[in-house]
Amino acid sequence: MKEKISIILFVIVLGSISSGLLVGINSWTKPKVIKNKELKLKSSILDVFGIKYEKDTIESVFSQNIETFEKNGTVFYRTKTNEIAFKYSGSGLWGPISGVIALNPDLDTIKGIKILHQEETPGLGGRIAEQEFLSQFKNKKITPKLVIVVKEKAKQENEVDGITGATMTCKSFEELLNKDIKEHLECLKK
Amino acid sequence: MFKKIKKLTYTRPFRIIINGLWKDNPIFCMVLGICSSLAITNRVENAIAMGLGVTFVTVATSVIISAMRNFIPSRVRMITYMVVISTFVICVDQFLKAFFPTISEAMGPYVGLIITNCIVMGRAEGFAMKNPVVYSFLDALSCGIGYTYTLLIISIIREILAFGTILRYRVMPQTWTNWVALAMAPGAFVLLALYLWIMRTLAKVEPEK
Repeated sequence: MKEKISIILFVIVLGSISSGLLVGINSWTKPKVIKNKELKLKSSILDVFGIKYEKDTIESVFSQNIETFEKNGTVFYRTKTNEIAFKYSGSGLWGPISGVIALNPDLDTIKGIKILHQEETPGLGGRIAEQEFLSQFKNKKITPKLVIVVKEKAKQENEVDGITGATMTCKSFEELLNKDIKEHLECLKK
Repeated sequence: MFKKIKKLTYTRPFRIIINGLWKDNPIFCMVLGICSSLAITNRVENAIAMGLGVTFVTVATSVIISAMRNFIPSRVRMITYMVVISTFVICVDQFLKAFFPTISEAMGPYVGLIITNCIVMGRAEGFAMKNPVVYSFLDALSCGIGYTYTLLIISIIREILAFGTILRYRVMPQTWTNWVALAMAPGAFVLLALYLWIMRTLAKVEPEK
């Protein structure tokens, strides 16, 4: 009996100490984490529009060049030359993938694309977030739909090369992009 | 001088360090932590971050467990390890997210997976539970370093052959054909097996009968 009580006591004390520690760490890092996220979103939007910025001028460059507006409950970002960007998200192979994509004023070709969050296998699927892969999307047509070619080289103007060893991730990425682009454009044209 | 060094090699701390780094190396002798050494060794930078993360968590956990070893009821010791390990891993994760967002992104879900690395729990159960804090610290540190250098060796070979780079600096000529197989898990299995074979032969590890 005495042993059982001491075990319970021990577990309770251990649990409260560790959760107390975690709560402390969380409240200490939370503002910084949120700030990092916001800066990352802003810098990614600047990136996809191809606007240059320095590390400490992200905020000011962003507010000078980009207008944020909401239409039918969805947030869009617009530059002075009428290029449109928005956030996309969906499920990849192992976890959620999200990022920003910018379209040229014709709303038919891609200006730039970036991934903000992904949980694919590092070195395989995780490489979809690399610049080398994403820069291929520039000026690709999104109609009738975007295709990530896995088996052969991309030829058409709506095709990009996939990543070897990451076929499934490429497929999921392609699917979620097409779906989100379509939804956002419908929303924008309404 | 020579005698002094020889004498030093018989002391306990010295033997603990040698064991962690060489004789009882977590990867090629105990064959622990294989999952992460297959998964994240395709880029050197991932290997460095993972190695440091695991080293920190192992050291912190071993020290705490060793300090508490007389109070931990033996029936709940496993849960205690898990609670302590997860607490530290979440701390590392939060810390990286707040101060090194880029590294945190590169590591992705693997920071959280340090929790499941057998080395951390193995050292807590196998060493820290029975030994004083200082020895546990040395043991955890040398095991962590032993793990890290193994990851480094494998990742250097893999990154050179699979991408032609080290830490993203090009080391192979532009004409180099990337060995894609080595970027993937099957290539890692072959390489790790070769590495285990070579290192176990060098370290004269006897298979258990």
